[in-house]
Amino acid sequence: MPGERIYEDLTLVRRRAAAAFWAVAALTILALAAYWKIQILENRKYEEMAEANRSRMRVLPAPRGLIRDRNGEILADNKAAFTVSLIRENMRDEAASYAAVGRLLGIGEATVRERVALHRNLRLFEPIVIADGLEAFDVAPIESRRLEFPEVVVDSEPQRFYPGGDLAAHVLGYLQEPTPEEIKARPEWPVRPGEMVGKTGIERVYDDILRGDDGSVYETVDSLGRVREETGRVYPVQGDDVVLTLDRGLQIEAEQALRGREGVIVALDAATGGVLALASYPTYDPNRFITRFTADEWRQLTDDPLAPLENRAIRGLYAPGSIFKLVMGLGGLDSGAVTRGTTVFCSGATRIYGDVRHCWFAPGHGALDLVGAIKNSCNIYFYALGRELGIDLIAGAASRLGLGRRTGIDLDGEKEGLVPSTAWKREALGEPWYPGETISVSIGQGQLQATPIQIAAMTALIARRGSPVRPHLGPVDKSGPAGPGPRSAFAAEDLETVIEGMWRSVNDGGTGQGARVDGFDVCGKTGSTQTVSRASAERLAEAGREIKTHSWFSGFAPRNEPRVVVTVLVEYGGGGGATAAPVAGRIFDRFRQEAARR
Amino acid sequence: MMIDRRLVKEIDWVLLGLVLAMSLVGVLFIYSSAHYLPGGFHLRQLAWIGISILSLGFVLAVDYKFFVALAGYLYVLVVVLLAATLVFARLVAGTKSWISLGLMQMQPSELAKIAVILVFARLFAGTRSPYLSTGRTLAALAAAAVPLLLIVAQPDLGTATTFVAIVGGAFILAGLRRRAVVILLLTAVVLGIGGWNLALKDYQKRRVTTLINPAGDPRGSGYQVIQSKIAIGSGGLAGTGFKKGTQSQLRFLPARHTDFIFSVIGEETGFLGVLTVMALYFALLARMFRAVTKARDRAGVYIVFMASTLIAFQFLVNVLMVIGLLPVVGITLPFISYGGSSLLTSYVACGLVMNVTMRRFANV
Repeated sequence: MPGERIYEDLTLVRRRAAAAFWAVAALTILALAAYWKIQILENRKYEEMAEANRSRMRVLPAPRGLIRDRNGEILADNKAAFTVSLIRENMRDEAASYAAVGRLLGIGEATVRERVALHRNLRLFEPIVIADGLEAFDVAPIESRRLEFPEVVVDSEPQRFYPGGDLAAHVLGYLQEPTPEEIKARPEWPVRPGEMVGKTGIERVYDDILRGDDGSVYETVDSLGRVREETGRVYPVQGDDVVLTLDRGLQIEAEQALRGREGVIVALDAATGGVLALASYPTYDPNRFITRFTADEWRQLTDDPLAPLENRAIRGLYAPGSIFKLVMGLGGLDSGAVTRGTTVFCSGATRIYGDVRHCWFAPGHGALDLVGAIKNSCNIYFYALGRELGIDLIAGAASRLGLGRRTGIDLDGEKEGLVPSTAWKREALGEPWYPGETISVSIGQGQLQATPIQIAAMTALIARRGSPVRPHLGPVDKSGPAGPGPRSAFAAEDLETVIEGMWRSVNDGGTGQGARVDGFDVCGKTGSTQTVSRASAERLAEAGREIKTHSWFSGFAPRNEPRVVVTVLVEYGGGGGATAAPVAGRIFDRFRQEAARR
Repeated sequence: MMIDRRLVKEIDWVLLGLVLAMSLVGVLFIYSSAHYLPGGFHLRQLAWIGISILSLGFVLAVDYKFFVALAGYLYVLVVVLLAATLVFARLVAGTKSWISLGLMQMQPSELAKIAVILVFARLFAGTRSPYLSTGRTLAALAAAAVPLLLIVAQPDLGTATTFVAIVGGAFILAGLRRRAVVILLLTAVVLGIGGWNLALKDYQKRRVTTLINPAGDPRGSGYQVIQSKIAIGSGGLAGTGFKKGTQSQLRFLPARHTDFIFSVIGEETGFLGVLTVMALYFALLARMFRAVTKARDRAGVYIVFMASTLIAFQFLVNVLMVIGLLPVVGITLPFISYGGSSLLTSYVACGLVMNVTMRRFANV
């Protein structure tokens, strides 16, 4: 073959080969320099990235403390709830998986897809929660087929559970995820995103006590997010229990008494001011807040003309009506405008400042002293007394009885009501006070506004012969100061006079006789408020109700050494004597039975 | 076939020693990165090393001129096999590059590298002039194009790019005129743009765009590069220790025992390990390129040079790819990555180099 000589001249190709080798050598050194940069100069950065890659901290949510009634019965409990999550990376067939999981959970494929779409930015191995708040019963079908669905993760975590459903809902409150604004406003608040915190009621007021300390697990995970090793664990600590002054039995009785109406029942322990029952109707089931409402359910609750979310006991503002005659009586006696024996003749109507004013009892009560006027709730007597006292003395007495300011009950959102006076009118409206307005105030109408809890606290003050108490639900040492202010200095005999009237109202054929309980010496006062604001009238029309007056009763028992205070308000209930008094009687009776049993 | 005792004396034992040393480093880190997977990859690799050593022995026993003479037949065989692969092979990881030989599987594209080296050696053995003629250039391009297109069709972009190294190596050695270089570069640009728009699949395009911006697709093709860089970077000076690299042991690193085995070495033995392996490569390549001066004829020079270029190219592309300086193409680290066909090809390439050097004086 030509060219196949042993000593061929290969100088040129060898020179080219050498050049190629040096090029390779240069590139090798370049590569080495790149490795030096990454491994030595940027080592720390990549070490941190490796650490972050494989370490994961998982929160172990702490169960909230329980809420119990005064006898230890559980009002707010925890239960194990299940969440079902999907890990997309473990899916074999996406479409089949969505369909099957949707079917097994009974939520439909569309919901599953929606949840996944919502979190599509999560990394493939991160679980996407597709359903939470599930019962063991709900997850059983999927749990039993875990092998078929490696992408499904079923976790259980403690979840708030209110065993009584809507029982004491307004007292207990409900939980919700805090809004970003709330978190911002409290930078020291140790709340984790997505955590449910107390939004209203006891859950909110005692949130710091009820909340536990979340635990955490530190894990090493592999690239599929599978746990390879646990590197540390801090166990969660359950929050402390809160024991309320509430009596579950009495609360049930109160709610049953209100069922089908709108209104409030408050029962206080006369000795301490502890709330034994606080029912506001209509109500709602706080369990429904736990699993996150749909927008529709929210709208339904917030747009309901009967406002089931409102705690009427502390936020409902009502004219006190004839209940205010207790204030008038005490104010009159205290100022010396009347004595126990001062009589006024009621003919059923009277002319004051040029207007004819009527008593509720058209035939007239005849001659009445103060006790009789309270017993019969005579308007004419108090018109005369009001004209005598003038608005500022009336306002002074009301204020000494706690009206016009918050009682300080340990619930959020309490309203303070309104006690009108000449000073108030000048400041608020820039107008002088007209004497005619005093006449309306004398029978608890006009601009007067009070919450049922204020009326209950006022009744307790009278029952306790002038010693005020602060209504409270939580433990006394944690719920704030014991009383709203100094002892209101009404003379003992003045208080006894008014109490005599209250006793007669119930036990001597007065307006409050519906509240009578044999052998329990109930003292009380009825009230009917004639004011219907235009807004309420509209609400009413929407709800298909006939317009009636609000019906009040507030009283205590027994007359001596009182143990319980009961205040009842039934919206549009008609006359206080006809509607509220029998309801109150039912509560007094139940209290007596329970007390006898224990 | 007997081997002359004089020839045995001329075998480059240092080169063989380096190859074996690197192979054992490979087995160690295949074990480290895949011991928790079923399949005994390190044992299989050991078996492949045995097969490769036997094949190398066979390559040494036969004078390379005989292989050069048979290059044409080998070439036809390879083209037929590649075509058959396209038709019969089942899809593995999205490509049809594997052909089943009973118990073992074989990648004909690896064999194609050897065939092209031999064909080119034969083609260029006759050139005397300091520069390539146009006719020979076109003939060489045509000879490379047939298997190359078949491999691209599989598609196995990694192996296809190694052809660029072989062909480019041959052209460098043979000497291209400036005009030819310009034409080839222009053609490459035109083909490149055309290929980008017409032939490349999306995942292949992404690999290239990822090189420019790895964070743009952290869960896709960028993921490999990011995880690999984390592995290497966290290795530091001395590494995390054998079998203690979290990136590989916890499987964050993809293709740990194959294409990305150098990342495992970087993570578990640190910069010192990287330096050691690169030093081994440098020694090996220095010895291989030096062998060019020991070839007694033009065909030998081409064989040695193309074989060296092939190993050097794969080494450089692999170590630059795993730190994100080159796009992620499926190129293994010769002698170290897991994979029988790739190992065998590297051994045969070295065998050819040793074959040429041991027969520099002989006139058998």
